[in-house]
Amino acid sequence: MRPAASILLLTTATGFGFGLLAWLGAYAALGLLPPEAPALLIAGIALALILASVGLLASVFHLERKERAWRAFTQWRSSWLSREGVAAVLIYPLAIALGVAFLRDAQSLWTRLLGAATLVGSLGTVYCTAMIYASLKPVRQWHNAHTAPDYLLYALFSGAVLFAALRTAALGAAGPMASVAALMAALACFAKCAYWRHIDRQGPLATLASAIGLPKGTAKALDAPHFSENYILRQMGFVIARRHAARLRRLALGVGFALPLVLEVLAGLPVVPLTSTLLALGCAAVGLLIERWLFFGEATHVAALYYGRPV
Amino acid sequence: MTMLPERAPGAKKLGLVIDLDTCVGCHACAVNCKEWNTGGEAAILPDYDKYGPQPDGVWFNRIHSYETEEGGCSRTVNLPRSCLHCEDALCVTVCPTGASYKRLEDGIVLVDTDKCIGCQLCAWACPYGARELDEKAGVMRKCTLCIDRIYDENLPAAEREPACVATCPSRARHFGDLADPQSEVSKLVKERGGVDLLSDLGYRPTNKYLPPRRATIPSAPAEAPSHDGKGLGAALLKLLDKALSR
Amino acid sequence: MARTTCYMCACRCGIKVHLQDGKLRYIEGNREHPINRGVLCAKGSAGIMTAVSPARLSTPLRRIGPRGSGSFEAISWDEAMSIATDRLAAIRASDPNRLAFYTGRDQSQSLTGHFARMFGTINFAAHGGFCSVNMAAAGLYSVGGAFWEFGEPDWEHAKLFLLFGVAEDHDSNPIKLGLGRLKARGAKIISINPVRTGYSAIADEFLAITPGTDGLLVLALIHCLLEAGRIDTEFLIRYTNAHHLVIDAPGAPDHGLIARDAAGRELCFDRASHALVPAQSLGTDPALSGSFMLPDGRYARPAFALLAERYGDAQYAPETIAERCGIDAPTIRRIAAEIAEVAFNQPVVLAQPWTDTAGRHHPTMTGRPVAMHAMRGVSAHSNGFHTCRSIHVLQMLLGALDTPGSWRYKSPYPKPIPCGSPPGRAHIPGGPLDAPPLGCPRGPEDLLVDEAGEALRLDRAFSWDAPLAIHGLMHMAIARAYEAGPQKIDTLFLFMANMAWNSAMNPGETTRMLTECDEEGNYRIPFVIVADAFASETVAYADLVLPDTTYLERHDCISLLDRPIGSAHGPADAIRVPVLKPDRDVRPFQDVLIELAGRLGLADFADDRGRPLYSSYADYMVRHERRHGVGPLAGFRGADGLALGKGAPNPGQLERYIENGGFWKYELPEEQLYFKHANRAYLTGARAMGLIDDDAQIVLQLYVETLQRFRLAAEGHARPRPPERLRERISRYFDPLPIWYVPLEEAMTDRARFPLHAITQRPMAMYHSWGSHNAWLRQILSENRLYVHQDLAAELGVADEDWVWVRSRSGSLRCQIRTMRGVNRDTVWTWNAIGKRAGAWALKHDAPEFHRGFLLNHVISEFLPKQGDDAPHSNSDPITGQAAWFDLTVSVEPCAPESPAETSPRWGANPLRIRTTPEDAR
Repeated sequence: MRPAASILLLTTATGFGFGLLAWLGAYAALGLLPPEAPALLIAGIALALILASVGLLASVFHLERKERAWRAFTQWRSSWLSREGVAAVLIYPLAIALGVAFLRDAQSLWTRLLGAATLVGSLGTVYCTAMIYASLKPVRQWHNAHTAPDYLLYALFSGAVLFAALRTAALGAAGPMASVAALMAALACFAKCAYWRHIDRQGPLATLASAIGLPKGTAKALDAPHFSENYILRQMGFVIARRHAARLRRLALGVGFALPLVLEVLAGLPVVPLTSTLLALGCAAVGLLIERWLFFGEATHVAALYYGRPV
Repeated sequence: MTMLPERAPGAKKLGLVIDLDTCVGCHACAVNCKEWNTGGEAAILPDYDKYGPQPDGVWFNRIHSYETEEGGCSRTVNLPRSCLHCEDALCVTVCPTGASYKRLEDGIVLVDTDKCIGCQLCAWACPYGARELDEKAGVMRKCTLCIDRIYDENLPAAEREPACVATCPSRARHFGDLADPQSEVSKLVKERGGVDLLSDLGYRPTNKYLPPRRATIPSAPAEAPSHDGKGLGAALLKLLDKALSR
Repeated sequence: MARTTCYMCACRCGIKVHLQDGKLRYIEGNREHPINRGVLCAKGSAGIMTAVSPARLSTPLRRIGPRGSGSFEAISWDEAMSIATDRLAAIRASDPNRLAFYTGRDQSQSLTGHFARMFGTINFAAHGGFCSVNMAAAGLYSVGGAFWEFGEPDWEHAKLFLLFGVAEDHDSNPIKLGLGRLKARGAKIISINPVRTGYSAIADEFLAITPGTDGLLVLALIHCLLEAGRIDTEFLIRYTNAHHLVIDAPGAPDHGLIARDAAGRELCFDRASHALVPAQSLGTDPALSGSFMLPDGRYARPAFALLAERYGDAQYAPETIAERCGIDAPTIRRIAAEIAEVAFNQPVVLAQPWTDTAGRHHPTMTGRPVAMHAMRGVSAHSNGFHTCRSIHVLQMLLGALDTPGSWRYKSPYPKPIPCGSPPGRAHIPGGPLDAPPLGCPRGPEDLLVDEAGEALRLDRAFSWDAPLAIHGLMHMAIARAYEAGPQKIDTLFLFMANMAWNSAMNPGETTRMLTECDEEGNYRIPFVIVADAFASETVAYADLVLPDTTYLERHDCISLLDRPIGSAHGPADAIRVPVLKPDRDVRPFQDVLIELAGRLGLADFADDRGRPLYSSYADYMVRHERRHGVGPLAGFRGADGLALGKGAPNPGQLERYIENGGFWKYELPEEQLYFKHANRAYLTGARAMGLIDDDAQIVLQLYVETLQRFRLAAEGHARPRPPERLRERISRYFDPLPIWYVPLEEAMTDRARFPLHAITQRPMAMYHSWGSHNAWLRQILSENRLYVHQDLAAELGVADEDWVWVRSRSGSLRCQIRTMRGVNRDTVWTWNAIGKRAGAWALKHDAPEFHRGFLLNHVISEFLPKQGDDAPHSNSDPITGQAAWFDLTVSVEPCAPESPAETSPRWGANPLRIRTTPEDAR
């Protein structure tokens, strides 16, 4: 599948945003946010919403008819994309209400309830995003049990890294978030490896023979309907070279997960906590973009079978 | 609404039956479809770089050819590929705007291009590669089963069929109601063992494909040569001996 | 909506053209039309894009730069017509033969041929010489009809269909409709073809034959049928000359001719009366074997006996020929058995009484449901004439010829054998030729040769080089004009023929010849006029360009005088009507030709005072009479519009055609549908309609005596005699019974160096060189590949998309390959005419057609290798002059890795650069 910049930005930026919001919500729900630093929460919410907005805006740029984007909110009953939109929009008042409640009384029941709702809403939105891909049966690398949990995990990981940096910037120390972020990095890394192992071992979704209705035979493509690349091939015929993919995988693991893990451990010790958390944040951002690029670039669409391409 | 409609009892299931045993791969259906849906320069189906290095455009129907091997028999199979108007049309349910829909009354899957935002998710959801983006209008295009022909009462009844069916020179394409077991298309599917493409994926396509077959002529084994290779054989001499009448 | 006739290929399908706001909206098949019955192929539907192609020429042009440079100035039609008229008038005044007029896939040959005849030039031909003349000549001389234009399988009754060498662009919609019918009926289709695509893809059995060996396969099938005694002897004695006695007197001047009585009637031996009797007598029991004494004491043998003796020989046994054909012997034997099974155990019997020419009444029509069809793969070899003859002989032996379930004549065929007049040669007062320039020689006396036996025609048609070249040798026109020099040819007038590119067997040499000058700087071919609708590669080589309209902008007629749209069900013809008004300064070529003829004062085009007779082609179509009552259109004749075929011109004829959907057809009564060659009701009716001049039985020629006449001349028994250098060749190839020989070029080539056969075909979605400027069709094929058998590819160490060099004795080209299984192991092939010359067809400079498309023509030569001191022969069939495109043999080797990723050879771009003067702009 063609990795479109707008979608890479959408999924990673909203991952950071909703991930951060999820942690803020969790902290608020558990009453763990230091009431003496309301700025942390307010800044966190603001930053999360900005990131979410950047992501959502990027996704609008992916649309061919942006002026009709509002229509995307209508089909929440069947469409994960519509649900993502609705959920994302609902988060904004929720998060703002959380901020207001927190300013009034950091430990009130409202604050806790709104925190819990924000946590659920944020993760729910991420889940919707994940399900857009996980529900696409023609793409075996997406339509599997890994996609949704992985998206949640990456959101939590990126949110944790961001929160750790934010907390360090606000309070001088990451506190438990450094350890949480390090743990999330380890889990995300593990999940990614498990995912790659899964897709590498997965058989093809279908054979060319079954694609042309002769499942008992074998088939080889002779002539395609056209010589120039068409829309289907540009979108769904994108194939990344195996060697190139392996290099990118190593890069994603190293930069995206291993370095942040080390840096968060350093921050937790604490060794230059601000620098470490900020570096971790940068690494995570770059690594996750690479990871996301691979998520698309390594995905194959069964329609490409018709052109004799591997799926 | 992008929820798939519950099929009402007695509702039609309009679709195509494509005979792979007869398709010669001539692209007639594809081009006539393009023509019907474009109308020359009216550009409903766009073309890009018409006379340049990357000639491309939107087509509802594209013709592939394959070499297959089944049971020791190798052959060339031409496959016209277009929207199959699936019963479990994921392209419909993933649509966030309701632009993509499946009609209750006949099962045709359509795109309302006034509602389409061009998110292209439906194209991703289709395993058959049947939806192509109109990069000029920014909306998704797909086979309409010529809904503007099959219900056009200004046309003579015989012409109320999709353009691809009407034009198919080897008559490899058939159109009809696959919900009606008595329809010609249903009978063809039954008699010829019509199949679904990518049946394992569970989209339950309405369009069916009739697999290639092999006609044979059982014949007595050829008679062994009855002479030494010179002169006429005994069988021929016997034949020539018979009295004839001019 | 207008109903007219398609011209996106040669099929002549009926189309309905819908307009919206004066613009083309939709073209669909006309359901009432007999050719396509409502269906329409990819090309036909894409006609809508041809009508807006940027490659359309827009104004008359005069060359201002060097020939081939593409530099022209726009001129007015007045000026263009004056230039042409002056030039042609001067030629006509000196020697009309100095005009060489060659047309491409021309569907108005009854007009263009008549123009040539009235002009008085013998140098006229159309594209048949590189298309199908082997099929036409073999058919016309054997059965009075032919595959392709003049016959069709009985799609409704055939149970077994043998398809020999039919490229997938051939006979587009009719053959597809027919195959669809066969499939629906469960008939078996066997394709004999080196390549399994298109029609062959849906065949129930595919025989990947080695190119050029079809004839051998057919003779082996005949061998098997003879061996098994599976022959329809009754059909042979009633409808063929199988029982005619052939004089057996080697060395005598009439050896090999049919024995005749004093009245000139052919003789046979009647076993009932033990006497020689006229072969056409009734109630006889003619002998098909044996040897019989003639009144003069010499012996004669039934033609069938000669045939049986020849093909009964072990040299035609499947086991002998299997390896050469690439088909194993048991398969050949099985197919022979299947043919016999269907022909003799599953006859089709129609409860339809009929009466034959001898007056015998038959209560039913009984047929052998084995149908055959053959085309380019047979035709384009230098042994194609005999191969096609072999197939016709097989049909005759089976009795599977114009019977239910077999191959059938399309009206207006069958015609007497050989049909029509011999080619015109003498000038009658006023300048016209005594007969049309193309015709059918009946013997050496009809050849167009001089005292020394050398060719009179430019292309050497009807000379000892190619005696039965009934379609001319268009592929040799430029080479021969170059060779002969300006004394012989002044003006080369080309109409819709892409002679500088894919219609040349050797574009490199051809363009050199077109551009070469003498010491004084004069072109060796002094003047070239090109009439075409599009900026083909050839336009750049014109001195004067006459821009034609597209087919949607003009009148046309698909005439019974040319190649009509008749079917086995009856005669039919059709018209084209202008649907669009030209938006540029172009004129229909036929109008231009008629005006030119009028200006030149040609008989039949101008009256006694030299005033033009016709204002336009439409006018000519209605008013011209070729013979009394016979004109270009056969329908709605007579003052009341009710006359069939023959009748006075009807001023309202075109309106009647338009009302009728753009065509006319006459449905033959059921009793006339089969056995037309001997069906009394049919032949009488056909004569009344003016389709034939004689309603006698057309005796099918198992044995072609005409061929023997040429052979006897070569052996010194008749005049004129071939020049010494050609005697052996004539003697060898003019065999009255089919022979098989290794194609000429192949036989003269070192097969160790060039072990592979190389052939081409046009894809179904393309025709002529026209696909590439069509915005839709070029999306389907904008590049081509060389297809290679996967085992051969593995052996060569190449894979899909790899670049290779293809080398032949005459050149090299670089291209990419694609592997497949469905191809003869030792054959490579590609799509023809996808590769284009940069600059042509108004494509952008970086179009893939230029740098990833290629023409196999670059490694073909129009000449055979030179042998001894004689000038090389043309690369053609020695009998008909058919261009032997498919005789090519090549080698394939991988390119070096650093080799550029583009096809070679590539020539410099020569796009049209047109200077317009302010006047013209206005």
